[in-house]
Amino acid sequence: MNILKRDFIVREPLLVSILVLLTVALSALTHAYSQAYDRRRSALSIEWFERGKWELGNNRSSAAVEDFRTALVYDPGNWNFRMYLAGALRHAGRTDQALNYYLGLWQNSPNNGPVNLELARLSAQKGDATSAERYFNGAIFGDWPENADTNRRTASLELVNFYLSRGDSGHAESQLIILSDNLPEDSQLHTRVADLFARVGDDQRALSQYRRAIQIDPSGAAAMRGAAEAAFRLGDYHAAQAYVSRSLHLDESDSSAKQRLAVLQSVSELNPYEHGITEAEKIKRTLRVFDIAGNRLSSFSGSSGSAAASSIEPFTERWKQLKATANDRFLSQHPEEIDTLLDFSAAAEKAAGSNGRAPTPDDSAVLAVVNQHEGQDR
Amino acid sequence: MSAPDLTTVPISAPSAPVHPSWAAFTSRLTAQLAFNEDRFFLILAVFIGIFAGLAVVCFRITMEWIHLYLLGSALTPSTWRAFLAPSLTGLAISALVFTVFRGSTGSGLNQTKAALYISNGYIPLRTVIGKFLTASLAIGSGHSLGPEDPSLQIGAGLASAIGTRLDLSRKKMRILAPVGAAAGLAAAFNAPISAVLFVIEEVIGHWSAGILATVVLSAVSSVVTMRLFLGSEPFFRIPPVAMIRWQELVAYSVLGVLGGIASVIFAAAIGWLRPKIKASPRYLQFLYPAIAGLLLGLIAFAGFPQVMGAGYDFMDQAMHGQFTWQILGMLAGLKILATTLSFSSGTPGGMFAPTLFIGAMLGGAVGTVEHLFFPNLTGSVGTYALVGMGVLFAGFLRAPITSVFMALEVSGDYTIILAVLVANMFSYLISRKLQPVPALEQITRQDGLYLPAMEEEREQEVLTVEDAMRPRPAIILDSQKPANDAWTLIRATPEEYFLVRRSSNSIALSSRSDLQRLVDSADPRPLEETQTLSVVPYLHPDEDLQVALRQATNYPLVPVLSRANVSRILGVIDLDDIMKAYRRPDRQSPKKR
Repeated sequence: MNILKRDFIVREPLLVSILVLLTVALSALTHAYSQAYDRRRSALSIEWFERGKWELGNNRSSAAVEDFRTALVYDPGNWNFRMYLAGALRHAGRTDQALNYYLGLWQNSPNNGPVNLELARLSAQKGDATSAERYFNGAIFGDWPENADTNRRTASLELVNFYLSRGDSGHAESQLIILSDNLPEDSQLHTRVADLFARVGDDQRALSQYRRAIQIDPSGAAAMRGAAEAAFRLGDYHAAQAYVSRSLHLDESDSSAKQRLAVLQSVSELNPYEHGITEAEKIKRTLRVFDIAGNRLSSFSGSSGSAAASSIEPFTERWKQLKATANDRFLSQHPEEIDTLLDFSAAAEKAAGSNGRAPTPDDSAVLAVVNQHEGQDR
Repeated sequence: MSAPDLTTVPISAPSAPVHPSWAAFTSRLTAQLAFNEDRFFLILAVFIGIFAGLAVVCFRITMEWIHLYLLGSALTPSTWRAFLAPSLTGLAISALVFTVFRGSTGSGLNQTKAALYISNGYIPLRTVIGKFLTASLAIGSGHSLGPEDPSLQIGAGLASAIGTRLDLSRKKMRILAPVGAAAGLAAAFNAPISAVLFVIEEVIGHWSAGILATVVLSAVSSVVTMRLFLGSEPFFRIPPVAMIRWQELVAYSVLGVLGGIASVIFAAAIGWLRPKIKASPRYLQFLYPAIAGLLLGLIAFAGFPQVMGAGYDFMDQAMHGQFTWQILGMLAGLKILATTLSFSSGTPGGMFAPTLFIGAMLGGAVGTVEHLFFPNLTGSVGTYALVGMGVLFAGFLRAPITSVFMALEVSGDYTIILAVLVANMFSYLISRKLQPVPALEQITRQDGLYLPAMEEEREQEVLTVEDAMRPRPAIILDSQKPANDAWTLIRATPEEYFLVRRSSNSIALSSRSDLQRLVDSADPRPLEETQTLSVVPYLHPDEDLQVALRQATNYPLVPVLSRANVSRILGVIDLDDIMKAYRRPDRQSPKKR
């Protein structure tokens, strides 16, 4: 370095040039060194990530957590690793840790659909309804790396189930109405949405979705059964009978369909409110309904002294009172008493049902027609 | 000047006349091209930053390679590795430190300060190489130490080596070490502002525009270099931080108190164990790094391998709520133990990372506990962990300003400033109260060195002019009047020097002897015209007495003027007044305790 002390050479440009050359040389060496290390880190991150996936696949979530954490040591910014780690924490039952981890991911990427959905599930699990609802909506309107429509629908359906689990049918129905607008041509999906409409009590929309499902896949037994039930609840017994028949045609061993068919046949014979029947026929059917209810009440006579028999006793007494006037002539003169008999019959059937007596198809038919009539009145 | 001897002047052909502006231009150019140390120093600061950045990159990578080979690639090492790696490496480190690299022990921070104040900033290159190797071995093998302080020394050492080769002046050499130190620390910590502040706050203790410029240039260039190779990702991912409600300040105060107590325990543990180890026989000193390694293995075997090494990965986990408060509390306590063992044993390595680790765990624990009881009141656990880091920094390293800026710089979020200020203030005050001598100062004193303690210097009372000045003199002469008038006024007074107000309202000085001479010669002119008035500098009451001392040694009397109105004389001061102020018993500050 003595050369640098000579006046004619000691000039900034020369010194700077030497320093630049030194910088270039040292940078090249450091680059080679860091590249070698980066390659090693990259290999290690993949190795530990694969190991974590294997552990997770073998239900060893705790081991997977450690593996994913190690993978993240070598590739800290890897989003995929972080998602897997969060998932592994959740599978390992470390709900709080998983929630914290997902929250960290959410804070980095608040529009991320998968993170929002996982947070919604965890919040729902913890009973934090407000957060769950917020994150479900985040998942529905968030960004999804792939299959965005399918994933958004899944999130919507989970939100509906979440509302239903909390008894909030109103919000569930609103969500279903939005969802049903954009459903693809998928019979199973329409059936699933229809089932949910049925659960919230919107039989009209449920029936509509079942019909759409049947249109797409006429051999869909589940949609057929669902349609039959919805039509039955709506009082459209002919349609219900048609769906049940088609359902039985698709699966003859379906015992519930057979039972439903029997009920429907009874309904067609018993329904006093059926349009187009004469007054005499209406009275005849009313008396038959009244007798069916009486028969069901009398099935308790063998168990006198029991709690069930005691609770049925007032109905039996009342039945006996009404029986005195339950005849063609009286009802012809007092048609307003038809409803009295029918209402009583329904109440007696309900009481019998709540006291453990399994209904016959006729009993179910009585309940159905009276309930249907009450529903129409309301 | 004698006339030139024309007979000796050679006769030559008449040459073209040199244009005067061209001559001036070439002269200016020559002057500009001449070596200018001040200008070159700024350029050099950038290169020092780059070299320090490259060195720190290599240091970190070496450390991590060693970690991979000795402790394996798993997040937590296997039992046999946890026992063998730090203990056997401890022996190797002892062998290196006892034979080849004798100056490589310690964290690096005090050694840099010692070099600055004892050997004009000179750090041997061998020490730099030794620190690089031994510290990377120690931290890579799992000793509970950090890479920041060694990086600081490596940066300072490189700067010193370059300065020595370039034969820079002693004055520049003394600035060069802190410039390199800031570069090394900035690259290691990925936080240039904190590094600059720390070096100014704890190493240099004062700053000027020149020092600040070079330190900032080197810190920035080192961080840029480091990020070029290692990326701009921080060593731990900072979760979004926030202070939810003002009531949280109570919890942050608790964190500050706990942090202060933890700092005192940490400092006291090192202060107790280190002298005992240093006083032991030499063969035992040789074995202590290995023994510390074995004990670390024991802690890892007991289920807490997180305390090994610098611990950044686990700080990351703590920040993301991955530990229960019980585990966080245990980790904070065990890290104090592990670092005390590693550092006191003489293993080279820094205290920054362990301090941050302890703070993060403590903060995480407080945040988690608060979250359990007041879930709606608390921000993220990560916020508490981050504030906790600053708390320990303020309490243990006693760098309150750096601690605040570090938390803000690392988080990039100024919304937590209230929390940081409150917590750090509590920690700093408690630490100061319970541990009057800062930990780093305590360590240098154990080594028999009495380096300037920046905290003590900050605490020293600064004497100002108003502490020494006398009231305004009763007689102020008028320069427009003749000497006879002035003599009438001063004849009965004992003073030798008098202030004279000039027509321009400025103040001049006149002596009794000059005035007497004018009177004796019956000079009728106003004083202004007699050439006897001397220009005198002036002072303001709030100025440092050291400034007054420099003036008073050149002038017999110096006026003290108001800052609001410089024609208003508030008092006067002379050398005797200054000496009296310095000698006053109540003004003596306790320099050495």
